[in-house]
Amino acid sequence: MNLPHRPPLFPFSALAAIALLLTACASTPVPEAQMAVSNAALAQAVRAGSAEFAPAELAMARDKMSRAVQAIAGKDNAAALAFAQQAQLDAQLAQARAEAAKARQSAQALQEASRALQEEMNRKRP
Amino acid sequence: MIPFHNFSKFSLSVLASAALATLGACSSVPPVNPTLEMARAENRSAQAAPQTQALAALELRQAADAVARAETALQQRESAEQVTQLAYLARQRVALAQETAARKASEAAVVAASAQRDQLRLEARIREADDATRRAGQATQAANSAQQQAASAQRDAVQSQQQADAARQSAASAQQQASATESRNQALEAQLRELTALNARKTDRGMVITLGDVLFESGLAQMSAGGLRTIERLGAFMVAYPQRQALIEGYTDSVGSAGSNQTLSERRADAVLTALLGLGVARGQVSAQGFGETYPVAANTDAGGRQMNRRVEVVLSDEAGKLIRR
Repeated sequence: MNLPHRPPLFPFSALAAIALLLTACASTPVPEAQMAVSNAALAQAVRAGSAEFAPAELAMARDKMSRAVQAIAGKDNAAALAFAQQAQLDAQLAQARAEAAKARQSAQALQEASRALQEEMNRKRP
Repeated sequence: MIPFHNFSKFSLSVLASAALATLGACSSVPPVNPTLEMARAENRSAQAAPQTQALAALELRQAADAVARAETALQQRESAEQVTQLAYLARQRVALAQETAARKASEAAVVAASAQRDQLRLEARIREADDATRRAGQATQAANSAQQQAASAQRDAVQSQQQADAARQSAASAQQQASATESRNQALEAQLRELTALNARKTDRGMVITLGDVLFESGLAQMSAGGLRTIERLGAFMVAYPQRQALIEGYTDSVGSAGSNQTLSERRADAVLTALLGLGVARGQVSAQGFGETYPVAANTDAGGRQMNRRVEVVLSDEAGKLIRR
């Protein structure tokens, strides 16, 4: 009598294990915190002038944010988290590139100004 | 029960294979993850760059940590998607560290360039100040030079003025001399006219006036009235020109002895001298001398010649009073 009772238990435990595994692998809560962080990073990148100085990185970050939003809508929170994480770092990189480009421009302008001044002084020298 | 048992067996096998498939998707480890390979390589080169190490140490550590998380995920046989995700994030971290280092390097360059520009500006100002000082010195020198030139020019002007004055004076002097010469010439002309009126004639010894034929009767020292008029003119001339000297020379004809003729010639000369002194001529202006019958001007063989030899000649000095005596 033990045997007829065992089989019903076995499928249930297996199903539970699969469900557990599936949950561990794919089911995640809506990544609200990560979405907020990524959106903030995106806004900061825009403020840093990445639209002008790092348009490719900014476009990539925006694309991934919209994919994250779509994933949330499609109940795929794991994908949403992954996209949001990528979008955060893409946005941060866009900001860093923009800031580096601006600093490079400033340095070049100043070096040019110094060179011009030096030339003028050399020209003035009798 | 059998159908159930059969179903149960069937469903178990289906579910088990599904679970295995799911687990396999979740934990199968690919031999390589290309994204992680790139992340490792990029991380290595970033960690090896001294500038990135120096300027973005924090970001580099975060990148290294991100790579390590991806490596851990790989070792713990997490899904390829998860490893790729972590590797992608690690790559972005590496890039972030590199961009941060680049930004800081440019910022340092900005600071350095600003400092250099400030230094250059300072040098330029110093040089401008030096130039200004030098120009001021040059201007002062130029001003001094100009002042010296002005002084020199003034001296030249004064000299020129003096020369002009001297020239004017010498011109005036020349004018005076000219007018003096002119007036003397005029005086000489007047004297000459008067001498002409006195029948003066020019000889080797100077102007000679002969109080000749009409004056003297033979052997006498008396003067005729006509002779007296000539002597009055001569006296007036001598008074008018006191620098003139007059030598009064008496001559006779050869009638009588030489001794008596000598005496007679002296008396004739003295008579004229006395007459001139009587007319106001200064004693120092006139002297008298007798030459007897010597120096005849004509032959004594006839009365006309003898009359011409009986004479008094007045030799006039030049203006300086110089006389040529016999």
